[in-house]
Amino acid sequence: MIAVDALTVQYGELRAVDQVSFSVFEQEIFGIVGPNGAGKTSTVECIEGLRRAHSGKVSVSGLDPWKDRKKLYEVMGVQLQDTAYQDQVRVGEICALFSSLYRSPVPYGELLEIMQLSGKEKAFVSSLSGGQRQKLAIVLALIPNPRIAFLDELTTGLDPRARHQMWDLLLQLRERGLTIVLVSHYMDEVEAVCDRVAIMDRGRMPAVGSVSEVIGRFALHTEISFRSSLERTGGLEALPGVVSVGRKRNRITVQGRGDETVLAVLEHLRDRGIDYAALAVKPPDLEAVFLNLVGYSPSGESPRADEKEVR
Amino acid sequence: MRAALLNLTLLEMKLFMRNYINMFFLLIFPMLMLLLFGGIFGNEPEAMFGGYGTVDISVPAYAGLIISVTGLMSLPLTLCQYREKKILKRFQATPLSPIYVVVSQISVHLIMTVAGMLLLFIVAKVVFDLQFVGRVLPVTAVFLFSTLSIFSLGFLVAAVAPNMRAATAIAYLIYFPMLFLTGATIPIELMPELMQKIAAVLPVTHVVKAMKAVWLGETAASVYPSLLILAGFMLVCLTLSLKFFRWE
Ligand SMILES: Nc1ncnc2c1ncn2[C@@H]1O[C@H](COP(=O)(O)OP(=O)(O)OP(=O)(O)O)[C@@H](O)[C@H]1O
Ligand SMILES: [Mg+2]
Repeated sequence: MIAVDALTVQYGELRAVDQVSFSVFEQEIFGIVGPNGAGKTSTVECIEGLRRAHSGKVSVSGLDPWKDRKKLYEVMGVQLQDTAYQDQVRVGEICALFSSLYRSPVPYGELLEIMQLSGKEKAFVSSLSGGQRQKLAIVLALIPNPRIAFLDELTTGLDPRARHQMWDLLLQLRERGLTIVLVSHYMDEVEAVCDRVAIMDRGRMPAVGSVSEVIGRFALHTEISFRSSLERTGGLEALPGVVSVGRKRNRITVQGRGDETVLAVLEHLRDRGIDYAALAVKPPDLEAVFLNLVGYSPSGESPRADEKEVR
Repeated sequence: MRAALLNLTLLEMKLFMRNYINMFFLLIFPMLMLLLFGGIFGNEPEAMFGGYGTVDISVPAYAGLIISVTGLMSLPLTLCQYREKKILKRFQATPLSPIYVVVSQISVHLIMTVAGMLLLFIVAKVVFDLQFVGRVLPVTAVFLFSTLSIFSLGFLVAAVAPNMRAATAIAYLIYFPMLFLTGATIPIELMPELMQKIAAVLPVTHVVKAMKAVWLGETAASVYPSLLILAGFMLVCLTLSLKFFRWE
């Protein structure tokens, strides 16, 4: 559906996107995550035909998004990371306008209803709450009844219930044949809805694949943590598979490889009669991959992985 | 696509009318000026004005006032705001090219300029029994041509201003001299020679000159230097605008 080949975006001296290649398959939800300034929006804008690539090739359904933009915009729904609206425009008016831009729009009343904005048609856009405005942006992206949707930070500013509803909606839309490119800062969101994910960092894309593939590729550790009165590490570091043991106030955190570590730790606690409470096992997740990639260690007190870790 | 452009223009028209600052400066302010000066001086025929009254010769001059408000304030500020708020960019991602957003803005401002002028005309007629001895066709033609010429300057402001604050500053900087130094409000004939020389390079001066002439029954050909200046001015502004304009 979308093929990106060695895409490079340059702003003056700054290379915001550097030789990035990936593809998005038909009817999948493709996530792009990465720290602020990684180049996610720049990449997506090139695919949307809003920005010209410095070099590289992008094709969407076999069309060049820059040259064949006219054709593409009929089948494409776009939510930009930040758009404002005209002053003093009403919700219903902007929806009606967008509907008139497309050949076969979805009745916007339905979309407003799904987004719980039904009662707001007469309201000024400026009077909506931040989350409601975000929902409006999504309504406008779906009005064209698109085959491909680009959602840049879709659920930023939405409350947890609205976020879950949005995920349900995305999954439904995918079932109906929509291909979705989703830029997000929420790893739980990506894990919940994305078929595949790409991680971007400083203009590059070090990992692309399904969520479990990406997590697997980084061989991160399972984390077992519990509260205990234990003064030292209590011999935990000698257990099979254990990589590190850390202690922060009365909470002990064991990093280890895979499930056999979990079992070993549990047995060790029982055999030695070590008291423990609030035990938690956290398998490596996308968040851990992300933080690892951008060099932040959540278990230590300081942000760098190489400090404060009991090896 | 034509329906979309029409819808867009109608919506933008509504939005223009909801902006009370626009509406004040376009409709109320010129009317207040007229009522004020008409109230002070009346509209009795004066030998100094070739047998016309104060109102008779003020109304065509106020065309400069009205065109300046829409063309030098509202148009550039709206365009600049739409760029800054990424509204143009949002339309870029629809089948409607953002060029049409610009076209619709120009249409709305053109229509509102004409409406402002018509309202002023009606008030002057009703309150001060305005004499209008010009012919409708040349007056309309000169008015529309002048409007487009001043719009091109507004467009240039929108093109070169890096952001909304700069645009506002530039717009005010251009608007106020156009208001007071061009004969739109204060007759040029009353100004010292230096000021008259400065006035001669301001485009609105030529709008006022041409409008007054055709309004009082002269032919458009009689003011061809002013019309030529406006045409040249438009050409320069448009060329520069196209060179500098950015969609985001
Ligand atoms: N129009 C622009 N002009 C100049 N530099 C830009 C422009 N847009 C983005 N950049 C720069 O390019 C880099 C990538 O920006 P981009 O918006 O693609 O990041 P992002 O991954 O979307 O970040 P975020 O998560 O904060 O939205 C940043 O360093 C940014 O400063
Ligand atoms: Mg972004």
